Amino acid sequence: MKPTLRPRRFMRTALTGAIAGLTLLAAAACSSGSTVSSSNGKQNQKFKVCMATGGAGLDWMKGQGDVARVLAKRRGWDYVELSNNNDAATANKNADVFIQDKCKAVIEFNGQPSVNPVLAKKFAAAKIPVITYDIGQKGWYFLGIDNKKAGEAGGAALGRIAKQKWNCNVDLVVSSEAAAAGVVNQQRTGGMRQGVKSVCPNIPASKYVSFEGNGLLSSAQPAARALLAAHTSAKRILVVGINDSGVVGALQAAEQLNRASQVIGWGQDGSLISGSNVNPHLAGSVFYFLEGYPVYAFSKILDKIAAGSPPAVGDDTHNNPTVLLPPCPVTRGQAAKIPAMPQRIKKLLAAPNGTTEDSLFCPNHS
Amino acid sequence: MTGATLSTPHLNTEPPRSRGRRELPEGAGNAALVFGAWLLLVLATTITRPDFISHQTLLSVTFTMSVTGVLALAQALVAISGGILDLSIPTALILPSWLAVTLAALGWSSWLVVLITVTTGAAWGALNASIIVWGKLNPIIVTLGTNFAGLAVMLLVFQSAQTPLHSGLSHFGRGYFLGLPNIFWPMLLLLALVGFLMRQTRYGRRAVAVGGSPTAAKSRGISLRKTRFAIFGSAGALAGAAAVLFTGSNANFTPNDGTNYLLSVIAAVILAGISLSGGRGHLWMILPSVGFLSTVPVSLVFFGLNDNWQTVMQGAILIIAVAIDGLRQKRLAR
Repeated sequence: MKPTLRPRRFMRTALTGAIAGLTLLAAAACSSGSTVSSSNGKQNQKFKVCMATGGAGLDWMKGQGDVARVLAKRRGWDYVELSNNNDAATANKNADVFIQDKCKAVIEFNGQPSVNPVLAKKFAAAKIPVITYDIGQKGWYFLGIDNKKAGEAGGAALGRIAKQKWNCNVDLVVSSEAAAAGVVNQQRTGGMRQGVKSVCPNIPASKYVSFEGNGLLSSAQPAARALLAAHTSAKRILVVGINDSGVVGALQAAEQLNRASQVIGWGQDGSLISGSNVNPHLAGSVFYFLEGYPVYAFSKILDKIAAGSPPAVGDDTHNNPTVLLPPCPVTRGQAAKIPAMPQRIKKLLAAPNGTTEDSLFCPNHS
Repeated sequence: MTGATLSTPHLNTEPPRSRGRRELPEGAGNAALVFGAWLLLVLATTITRPDFISHQTLLSVTFTMSVTGVLALAQALVAISGGILDLSIPTALILPSWLAVTLAALGWSSWLVVLITVTTGAAWGALNASIIVWGKLNPIIVTLGTNFAGLAVMLLVFQSAQTPLHSGLSHFGRGYFLGLPNIFWPMLLLLALVGFLMRQTRYGRRAVAVGGSPTAAKSRGISLRKTRFAIFGSAGALAGAAAVLFTGSNANFTPNDGTNYLLSVIAAVILAGISLSGGRGHLWMILPSVGFLSTVPVSLVFFGLNDNWQTVMQGAILIIAVAIDGLRQKRLAR
């Protein structure tokens, strides 16, 4: 037997083990996110709030968890956080974990709402109250933006620009959609089209076109390129969409087709309207200050549940929400004065209890 | 365009020579199929919408081809050398991309940024190669694992990244040369260069030989380890080059954005007739293959079809291409 075989075999086994370990670690990190708990020996007596964040890829999703963690800690509560990883199956699995973990209340941000009825059934059976951010579900406390109103505010602002610049002679109104977001997509992009119409009512229905951009710049860009190539005669184009990424994807597509001067966009969520890298054709956006949602969840719902007097469930996103947040439409110039998200979180957490980002940073309420 | 005709019978590592009788070059049938399908698609769309033939359509298709083409070239190298598939392409694209925009934001010179980005890609490929070679593990499993691990690490480091608007990368990505996007030309150049090197250099022919029959290649004194290292390293470097084009044309991206490319890259390689079992294929066929796949979504819009049809079509093309590859393998085995 060759003496060199043993170290080689060892090396191979070690490598296999390392890969398996890395894969497991990665799979755990990717599928369920991080679990954070402030538990100590007395955890059974403590109120435990569990949060399923949307997933990775967007700063505000992480921000929502960061703010909630600090607020729970300040109250001396246990806090468990999992990531839904933008995936329905993971959201379902996380719900099981929360139930097994005996959470007293759950906060859900689930961008794949098709699975929410299943989760609702499970949580109802376990008698766990659920707060849902932005995506309504029967039996859950709705806390979020009025998506339709946010859409209308952004659309109207863009319409006013079109009126001023082109006297409403618009050739195309392009909408960057994300069908997986369900009703949120319909309300937000539908609201934006409605907002444009409210200012420019004479734009024919045939001029309103849409494409699937998944709410991601990298998906929106090629799809918008194809759409714009199919509308070469359009010279005055408005771009609306479910979020800033989807809108900027379309604006960049226009730049790539040498048609940058023909487009004006207005986004939603404010994620790409501030900082030094703002697309010059993005005229404005609607801030929701998503990372600050936990402030409302804790002060208006969770504190009451923890005190034993839960508020009445308002689960209708439009007619009977538990907490409806005001959208904050801002122009590009105004957005420049709003701090970046890490600074906003810092200021929010330094402010007196119950202070909201809207009151701290919004220059003009809709 | 340089076409690299690659097949395992040429284990003598010499370029193939004419056998003295007229016969169709290997892969001609596949080339006719892909070009035919592409032409048919263009014709059908033009008949439906005559405005399809325009500079706008050309720009739209070539922008889409650029990043996908370079990534498909990287994938083709791995496939042709018997590595089957590199499933870590998404991380191989995004990791160097993140590094590129970070360095660009710090004001580093564009040339240095490009060099480091390509080197990072090569390092990623070398990492894959070292695990595959030293662990003697299945490349698909290894690259699946490293992709997961890489993605998880990236998510720990950043949620989204932005290409600085006034950086050299961004200027390059938004520019044009001879009426086509700047980022299209490096893709063409790399395709020609790698195609030439695979055919004309000893390393290239060895890679094909290893892909066709590792046992036969080994018996002829070809080092499987060195060849695998070279191939995965080169594929990684190509992914690094794709990262330069990607960051130039995408102002904002997230760690997950690389996954969008995986299906189209695999489809492009299979459609190009590059055998997943190694040793056979024409690298230049990637050009019409990627061109066809990049034209499909544009055509669908001109046909007025829903966006979801794009994914349906891509999946269908992938299945058809795999079926054709399977038939080809069976025919060769007879």
